[in-house]
Amino acid sequence: MSSAQAASLVINLTDSEPGFADEIKELGGEELLECIQCAKCAAACPMVLAGFSFFNKRIIQAILLGLREVLLDDSSIWACQSCNRCTEVCPREVNPFEIIQAMRRVAVREFALPTMSIEGLKSLYDTGHAVYLAGAGNTRAKVGLPEKPPSTVAYPEALKELQAIMRKTALADLGIIPMNGFGVADTCEV
Amino acid sequence: MKLGFFVGCNTAFNRPDLERATRYAFPALGVELDDLEGQSCCPVWGTMPSVDLVGWCAVAARNWAIAEEKGLDIVTVCGSCYGSLAETRYKMLTHPDIKAQVNEILKEIGKEYKGTSKVRLAFNYLYYEVGPDRIREVIKHKLEGLTVAIQPGCHSLWPSKVYVDKEEDPFHPKVLKEMCEVLGATVPYYSRLLDCCGMGAMRSTNRERSFSLFQKKLVSIKEEVDPDLIVTGCSSCLIQFDTAQEFLRKDREINFEIPALHYMQVLALCLGADPEQVTGLARTNVGQVVKKILEG
Repeated sequence: MSSAQAASLVINLTDSEPGFADEIKELGGEELLECIQCAKCAAACPMVLAGFSFFNKRIIQAILLGLREVLLDDSSIWACQSCNRCTEVCPREVNPFEIIQAMRRVAVREFALPTMSIEGLKSLYDTGHAVYLAGAGNTRAKVGLPEKPPSTVAYPEALKELQAIMRKTALADLGIIPMNGFGVADTCEV
Repeated sequence: MKLGFFVGCNTAFNRPDLERATRYAFPALGVELDDLEGQSCCPVWGTMPSVDLVGWCAVAARNWAIAEEKGLDIVTVCGSCYGSLAETRYKMLTHPDIKAQVNEILKEIGKEYKGTSKVRLAFNYLYYEVGPDRIREVIKHKLEGLTVAIQPGCHSLWPSKVYVDKEEDPFHPKVLKEMCEVLGATVPYYSRLLDCCGMGAMRSTNRERSFSLFQKKLVSIKEEVDPDLIVTGCSSCLIQFDTAQEFLRKDREINFEIPALHYMQVLALCLGADPEQVTGLARTNVGQVVKKILEG
């Protein structure tokens, strides 16, 4: 490894942000401080196997070191499969999955969320489905099903209920997606 | 027996043949499916769960309330729906403050979350409530002489604390294996059986890494089992196994193809369903294995 490469791997602790751990705890990562960095979660994590730079153990470590920007600059947190192997094996009941979700919630509050999440949220709000294929009616009919599934797409009043609920959540305060007026139901595959 | 069928997104729009299979197989085994009219996305991980804990639970709670008002448990063929619904139920029942905040939001639409319904994954429900013996009695076709590699799916197993149906050891699952054996298949172990398929957030974030993970698993299946068919317990795993092989072949990473179906599709075939309706949207070439099943 060259010295330039090595320098890029140095963690500068003067970048550390006090209070970052508390923010994670407030956004759902309650058990953060129980982590002893034993790495049992990492041994079970598909993200490790797939070669992502940050995964459960390292995300927790970065949070504990207060390295908010480091995590915001990396897309790893969005690749978490929510598979919960980590939650299953953690000997300290840290629930690493929920900490990664909390880190995503921090990122969302900084508008540092990927397009696929914004599209998914828009689609959820506009149709009731995060994954929605506008042209699915034909394929559904082909296999002997009604063109619309019995969901919010077939029951407009149910969609209005869902939208009313979503407008009462933190999503509305954050202003990430347009929530007034009627959206266009385009295809969305997240 | 009656259940609320939570159809979700991918099954309804990407693989309605799986929806058709589910709607065929349950009634054929004496279980009536209710439509849970007005259901929405569970919501899936990259949406509300990534924004806000209470908001996540609130969107799920509206779905729960639809089932609760009908006095029904929920069944799904999708691991993500299963996981998100089970997680939110667990959170609301173990954290009364979350439940209270959710119900404050639900007042807006005159609904309430009580916690009276449960969610079951299709193959688990059939194993525990209908039973292997009943299935063996009713099936018209068998997978005799066929070798199957199983893919239970992450959310069918972990975190076990949030699920009603638990494997004896969630790292040595046996329910899907037994359910395939009931249909007459040989179901060998392979070393990457527990590996994640890479579908979902990982595929959306970094397709190359998702496919490299999938390739490790697929090659382990090919080298160790060389099956006639891959059977998944989850609709997302189905989509990955059904679509990613084509990408890997185009990239010349693999030179083979293994047909992939969801367990409910295989079961529906065994129960006498029209193969075009219950497997007609498969991208992998399932024709030959379907023919063998119908002859068996």
